[in-house]
Amino acid sequence: MSVKFETRFQHEYLEDYEDGECIFEEGDTGRDLYIIQSGSVQIRKKTETHEFEMTIFKKGDFFGDMALLQSLPRYAAAYAVGKTRLLILKPAGFLLKIRRDPTFAFEMLQQLSYRVKMTNDRLLGLVSRHHIPMDEVQQLLKAIGGGSTGGEQP
Amino acid sequence: MITTIHTDRLVVISDLHLGNPFSNAKKKVIPFLKWAAAEKFDVCINGDGLEIAQSSFAKVAFEVPEFFRVLGEFKRAGREVFYVTGNHDIALEHFLEDWGVMKVSPFLNVHSGETRVRIEHGHIYDPFFVKFPVLYEGLTHFAGLLLKINPSLYKLWITFEKWTSYRRSKKSGIVGERPHFREAAEELSRRGFDAVIFGHTHHQGHRELENGSNYFNTGSWMLTPHYAKIENGKVSLEEWKEPVRLRWVGSSSSV
Repeated sequence: MSVKFETRFQHEYLEDYEDGECIFEEGDTGRDLYIIQSGSVQIRKKTETHEFEMTIFKKGDFFGDMALLQSLPRYAAAYAVGKTRLLILKPAGFLLKIRRDPTFAFEMLQQLSYRVKMTNDRLLGLVSRHHIPMDEVQQLLKAIGGGSTGGEQP
Repeated sequence: MITTIHTDRLVVISDLHLGNPFSNAKKKVIPFLKWAAAEKFDVCINGDGLEIAQSSFAKVAFEVPEFFRVLGEFKRAGREVFYVTGNHDIALEHFLEDWGVMKVSPFLNVHSGETRVRIEHGHIYDPFFVKFPVLYEGLTHFAGLLLKINPSLYKLWITFEKWTSYRRSKKSGIVGERPHFREAAEELSRRGFDAVIFGHTHHQGHRELENGSNYFNTGSWMLTPHYAKIENGKVSLEEWKEPVRLRWVGSSSSV
């Protein structure tokens, strides 16, 4: 059960979660961005056979960015670990947040850049272990790193 | 670029303005760095450590070598030096890091125990700097000329700022500051920062924010030297008073 605290802006508010409580499920259509004010959040992803932990986000981290920036359904589920308080930004509040707190944009880009690098490193690790032909690897790398789509879905 | 660090012992200073005609910070900051190294603190210079906007390169070149020699000693004693850029030294960020003594960044997120601290110079929250950058730069140069004529005009300006903001600041902000800085600290604290440390305004002080976080400003070493101390997750604002005797730890030189 969560408790909402309305703040000065309607597009930005706080929510409290108990340990193990679901914040959103995989496939949900919410567009909010979450920033962890206190506590931690576990991100879980289901496959056909398993459910596994993708990562744990801690105080100060953000998540839910894919739904906000690309209007996609939630890619994975999020659960509170321990008592957790989240600052929740509605899409309209996101630009206002950046205007009032510009370093947030810098930190977001920095984290996204880090996540891309980690994904590329893991992909290259898998590719080298499974001896995939080089031309296929090259095509794959071009597909994931290949320029702007202008905000359109590929 | 490093913007996140983990440390249990860090001291933060700002606005030394080394090279400015009014700044005598070098005399105070060198013993401070020696003390910090002896006490095993890392150090963060939170913007405007060097003065480019109101000074000649010759003056900066005269002031800086001894300061950098001491920073080198500090580094050799096993401590880290972080430099957060301010508005009077933006032009230097391209080569400050290449000198190999310090790590330069636009802001610093410090993890100390369970505490998260944001260190930032704060000029991007100054409405005058953001809205009128050309006029701001022009007036900064003009103020530099006035300081060359009579350095004590600076003290007069600081007193004027304190006087004009006294009633407004008593409620929520630090005396001398415009409310934008406390509001910016409030906004940052909503992202899970337990403390926010700014410089830039030259008005040192501390205020508790609405959500229980804390806002500090370390003021300027051109007046009374203050520093923020982060020690095992606790943050405090202290005035620097030189101890009677200092010695280097892990280095051959001593004072």
